[in-house]
Amino acid sequence: MTGPSPPVLSTSGLVAGYERDLPIVRGVDLTVRPGELVVILGPNGAGKSTLVKSVAGLVPVFAGRISLDGSDITAIPAQRRIRHGLAFVPQTENIFATLSIRDNLLLAADILPKDSRKSRLDSIYGMFPDLAERPGRRAGALSGGQRQMLAIARALLVEPSLLILDEPSAGLSPKIVAEVFARLAAINASGVTIVLVEQNVRAALSIADRGVILVEGMLRHSGDAKALGADPLIAELYLGAPRPGGASVA
Amino acid sequence: MSLELVSYGAFFLTMALTFAIICLGLNVQWGQTGLFNVGVAGFVAAGAYVSALLTTPEDAARLGGFGMPIAAGWLGGALASAALSFMVGALTIRLRADYLAIATFGVAVVVQLCALNLEAVTGGPFGVGFIPRPFAGTARNPLSFGLLNLGLLAALVAMLYLLVERLTRSPWGRVLRAVREDEAAALALGKNASRLRLQAFALGGGMMGLAGAVQAHFIGFIAPDNYMPMLTFQVWAMLIVGGSGNNRGAILGAVLVWAIWAGSAALISTLFPPAEQARAAALQIVLIGVALCGVLLLRPRGIMGEEQIVSRHVGKPHKAGAP
Amino acid sequence: MNPQVAMDGLVAGSMIGLGALGITLTYSILRFANFAHGEFIAWGAYLALAAGAALGSVFPGLAAPVGPFSFGWALPVALFAAIGLNGVLALGVDRLLFGPLRQRRSSVIVLVMASFGAALTLRSLLEFIFTSRPAYFSKALQIALPLGGGIRATPDQLLTLGVALVFVVCVHLLLTRTAMGRSMRAVSENVALAGCVGVEVGSVIRVVWLLGAGLACVAGVGAGLLVQIRPQMGLDLLLPLFAAAILGGIGSVPGAMVAGLVVGLSEALAVQFVGAEWRAAVAFVILVAALLLRPQGLFGRAD
Repeated sequence: MTGPSPPVLSTSGLVAGYERDLPIVRGVDLTVRPGELVVILGPNGAGKSTLVKSVAGLVPVFAGRISLDGSDITAIPAQRRIRHGLAFVPQTENIFATLSIRDNLLLAADILPKDSRKSRLDSIYGMFPDLAERPGRRAGALSGGQRQMLAIARALLVEPSLLILDEPSAGLSPKIVAEVFARLAAINASGVTIVLVEQNVRAALSIADRGVILVEGMLRHSGDAKALGADPLIAELYLGAPRPGGASVA
Repeated sequence: MSLELVSYGAFFLTMALTFAIICLGLNVQWGQTGLFNVGVAGFVAAGAYVSALLTTPEDAARLGGFGMPIAAGWLGGALASAALSFMVGALTIRLRADYLAIATFGVAVVVQLCALNLEAVTGGPFGVGFIPRPFAGTARNPLSFGLLNLGLLAALVAMLYLLVERLTRSPWGRVLRAVREDEAAALALGKNASRLRLQAFALGGGMMGLAGAVQAHFIGFIAPDNYMPMLTFQVWAMLIVGGSGNNRGAILGAVLVWAIWAGSAALISTLFPPAEQARAAALQIVLIGVALCGVLLLRPRGIMGEEQIVSRHVGKPHKAGAP
Repeated sequence: MNPQVAMDGLVAGSMIGLGALGITLTYSILRFANFAHGEFIAWGAYLALAAGAALGSVFPGLAAPVGPFSFGWALPVALFAAIGLNGVLALGVDRLLFGPLRQRRSSVIVLVMASFGAALTLRSLLEFIFTSRPAYFSKALQIALPLGGGIRATPDQLLTLGVALVFVVCVHLLLTRTAMGRSMRAVSENVALAGCVGVEVGSVIRVVWLLGAGLACVAGVGAGLLVQIRPQMGLDLLLPLFAAAILGGIGSVPGAMVAGLVVGLSEALAVQFVGAEWRAAVAFVILVAALLLRPQGLFGRAD
């Protein structure tokens, strides 16, 4: 890809998983350009979650490379990747339940220069007024939707160049899912590049610029979100079957 | 001369085989089930004291003895330790993995304390003497006495080995190992898994109690000092060297480590003047401690390694988090 | 309750509390019960003894007792030196043993076993270097002062109690008011997420070892000052430490201290009413009671 600016994220030949002889991600080349909102789709067990976790540094990479804003981050440990501008929101347990809302946010602010912490915190409270109401509250006492917002707020606090979310709709009611997605669309519109793993295909495609489909650890298809959503064949092949017991509102 | 050597050899091997029984018991708990027992000495002591109490001739100075046959003492010792293990296990097995370790450590402390302080039952610091020895009639001929005892121990170890091997390969053993390797499976099995682990823990504890009883009858005398935390450590060293999860390794490790232990102790007593022997013995423990940590770091599966009983993939730890 | 028993129990309990604090911190961050923690207490005491002796021989004036206390200025100076040295020892053990095992994602129980091996090694090393003869910080005899209400205490006892409370308050403030404390709480709840958020887990682990070893050193010096210094002192304290850490609730600083005082008081009561020979069983009874009735501890939350 040659563009006016380097891609925010690019992986080449990425092989990752929990055991070297049984990789789950098997040679993925993925490029995300600035300002894009890309959703990673695919059937259960395709390796979507493992792919984003390996990009976040949580799953060992066996081959290939990951670059962020043009610099190679493959060998950088997870806790340093956020300093390079990569923020990751895991699917579950993505907040510190025993810490207060304020401490959850301050924890992320620790990597910012001292003089900018206060202003970043204030602007996050401005964006998420719910959180500003009672910042001393234990995060564990929040509702599912509020927790997700706190996790997103914490990720945004450090002004990342790339925000990755692993199934942000998991376990939330349809109404809350719509709120979360509207919020993500707004964040993307404000200039943050987003990569999203989702089972909730139609909701995700409705806000995405582009969708990529992962099957058995390899990229099978990449295309405009609108076209992808309308393509009946693809819908039938990979997306159509709702997960048994899953919270699909497709 | 050579006769003396043979009878010493028989004595050494008999002692080593009593440790082999403890090791087999620990292997049921740790190697097969992944339950960590830091109080081995306590369970061995419980078996030894119960058996001594049941079998010694009546003693005016303390409760009993009851003059029962040796076999009854062994059975009683094994049952007592199994019951003790069961209680400790029932208390902690559903909690965090290391709470069991802490609780067993406490059991060892308390059993030692009881042995020391319950003079009316245990004889206090002086312990219990006149514990009947198997084949006592032949005691005047050290060689035949030694060989007969060795034969008895060898038969006992062989029997227990076959028993645990059968159990290991039974569905019971397979489930236990699966549970050991896979926390998720353990959780999914829930109460059932806890019950199986509890059974294994009690079985292992019972074997330790039996070993304690056998040892007590072989030496003929027990005292609280025999059951210091050092004993626990020795048995662990034996199992780690032999390879946890491997029953033959447990027996081999017991003989090997006991040989190193007895050999280095003999070496220290000839090389160092009496005044320096305590320090030299401390250094001996340091070296063995370093060796244990070294094996954990370099050969975590022990020198013999674990036998592959289940298929390779089942035996591997599964990590949660695959999409 | 005889007020004197309460006083003696509180003083002994405050040392147990300091040790339990170290156990509870390392447990909640590193996620395993460290059986070598008792040895850090013993090593702390011996390091302070050695440092104090060295100071006293270079500056004899420092060895002369200060005010009402039984020791000279050499001891407080040696204490701070020993806190540092003990920290280095703990970091060394972590570097050689626990670190590589963590790297390999060894199971909790392998770590526990390694700590068991480390405990024996460290303890026997002390016995090798210093022999098993008891040692003392000071040979000076102290007279217990009447405090009113029939309670008597030596100045050393009152000082150790005070020092213990100061250290507990400091650790509590560190944990609740500072960025490092926030990171520690985050790591103790969820290591992986802490990494995602940018917490340097490695530095948190180093700080926890330094804290645990430092508190253990203070406990060791306190126990050595009040009773005596022996290579076995850590082993003898281990069960009370675990009982206090579990009773207080793993991860809870106030819990560890309060439970330490409870264990100390109970031991003093047992010595008074049952007999000194059963003292060591008290911690076990408390441990069993806690596991039966409230496994998450007094100040802990059920998982």
